[in-house]
Amino acid sequence: MTDFVQNTLDGLMIGSSYGLLALGFTLIFGVMRRLNLSYGPSIMVGAYLGTFVYVQFGASPIAVAALAVAGAVLAGIYVERLCFAPMGPGAGIASMVSSFAIWMQLEQAAILVLPRHTYPYPPLAAVAPLMLGPFMVRLDHLVMLVAAIALSTGMHLLLYRTRFGLALRAIIGNPVAAHLVGVNVRTAMLGAFALASGIGGIAGYLVLAADQQVTSMFGMWATIKGLIAMMIGGLGSIPGAVLGGLVLGIIEMHGQWYFGSQVRDLIAYFLLFACLVLRPGGLLGDAPTRETAAYGRRA
Amino acid sequence: MDDYLIGVLSNIGIISFIALSAYVLLLTGEISFGQQAFFAIGAYASGIATALWHWPLAAGLAWGAAAAAAAAALVGVPTLRLHGLYFAIATLAFAEMVRLLFELFHYQVLIDGELVGPNGAEGFRNIRYIFDNNIDATEFLVLVYVLLSATLLGFFLLERSRLGVIFRMTGEDEVLAELSGVAVGRYKVLAAGIAGALAGIGGGLYAHLTTYVEPRIFDVMLGVHSLAYGLIGGLGTALGPLAGVLIDIGVLESTRWFAGYRMIVFGGLVAVLLIVRPRGLLDEVVVRNIRKAWRRTSPLRLGRHEKQGQP
Repeated sequence: MTDFVQNTLDGLMIGSSYGLLALGFTLIFGVMRRLNLSYGPSIMVGAYLGTFVYVQFGASPIAVAALAVAGAVLAGIYVERLCFAPMGPGAGIASMVSSFAIWMQLEQAAILVLPRHTYPYPPLAAVAPLMLGPFMVRLDHLVMLVAAIALSTGMHLLLYRTRFGLALRAIIGNPVAAHLVGVNVRTAMLGAFALASGIGGIAGYLVLAADQQVTSMFGMWATIKGLIAMMIGGLGSIPGAVLGGLVLGIIEMHGQWYFGSQVRDLIAYFLLFACLVLRPGGLLGDAPTRETAAYGRRA
Repeated sequence: MDDYLIGVLSNIGIISFIALSAYVLLLTGEISFGQQAFFAIGAYASGIATALWHWPLAAGLAWGAAAAAAAAALVGVPTLRLHGLYFAIATLAFAEMVRLLFELFHYQVLIDGELVGPNGAEGFRNIRYIFDNNIDATEFLVLVYVLLSATLLGFFLLERSRLGVIFRMTGEDEVLAELSGVAVGRYKVLAAGIAGALAGIGGGLYAHLTTYVEPRIFDVMLGVHSLAYGLIGGLGTALGPLAGVLIDIGVLESTRWFAGYRMIVFGGLVAVLLIVRPRGLLDEVVVRNIRKAWRRTSPLRLGRHEKQGQP
């Protein structure tokens, strides 16, 4: 029983990092109805930028965090300009494939700058883990959970309480109508993209600070875990992203406990596949109609 | 021919199979990120057949293709309802599951005092058929290109057949195809099966050429590359994916001009081409124009005109 609770706690903590990653992912999908597979590699560009400055000049954690977010935002803007802005309506699949091609590009660029497999990453704070009776919780993991809840709340407020959010919701409803009533659709989309990449940058920083190392697999890891969490929670749903991340984390941790770490990723992919086949809308999303699916098809 | 050139040409031929595999699905309008799974199944199945069961190469390759086709058709059924990005992500998830399952797959037999067979993440060594039977690199190269030519011939016949029309119709507009009386579901599973078989043959050839496979080879990057070949080469003809393979492996990988920057150049190329030529270099319009030009200059012209001239 103790193990079960501890595993669930661990799952919640690791799941909050998945949820954080899924938040930025789902914002892009919600606004554009398109999948940005370069999301993880964009975060990796920021993370590598921070690592580079940390390794070379011994920068402080705050500077590293700022660079991680700034790098992710810049890389995100680059992806938006190249893979999303030039593609006409109905070419969502072209955007997705294009973002996959840019994935390779960003990853290779990062590896050219820092060629080793693993680099150290500055920890958030060196504090002993918190003990709740017999259960252990790491403080930096707790920060991730709080950040996931805070950021999702912040995003909700942004969408429902600000003019920018109103513009985004208008675009989500109908991009053409939004344009007709004076919303600058292209700028708003770029803004949403930059914001999402920034959220990804924060998520990436928190995850890496908890791990205290960054590897060249990080871009792939961030895209895949964020994608699975988002799909389970429901494409385009903000609470769904956090919920999906937590569900994924808890299931992964229990799976690892019972079947070993080799099976952990297998379980995650199986969840994704089963979710797509049985309930493509995810837990909190709408099921995709033929129309929304066709919206993403090539013209 | 020197060994390096033979190696490059063999690689181009083998990768062409998985590019054509992704192309079949592109024809029916679906994007797959997961054809590497069937490449892997073909590689393992045919490797097991020749190395562990001592089958002849032809039977091993056929068995690999059949296993991959069966797996592809089996996955085709549950993913039938999915479209666009949902289908793409489902294939990605499936392919990664297959890769991770091969990391757990152990099946070893003692042959000549040596354990042979798939050994999880360690991979599958000693697929020695071409050494044991004294097949040299040039002969293997000929085998690859004979099979590839036969496949291309199949594609040219397909383009002229009812089946080819149905595939393109489904790709153009599935609802319209269904309304015109096409049993879309059945044909999509068929397309998935054909695509699986092609990838399986490629995988079988790959395993026998390199004599060694490991799960890590069959990662997402292989799948994305095979998809990208068709997209940059063009969707108008089966020669399109081949052109894509030539550009990537023939120019970017094999010459050393882009060492270290290959992914940067290739990724950028794909992204830019998707903007300026969304259906690739050899798209339907280009292919139609080439056909017209060919007819104009071809000696068969007279015959065709007479035929057309008749009331």
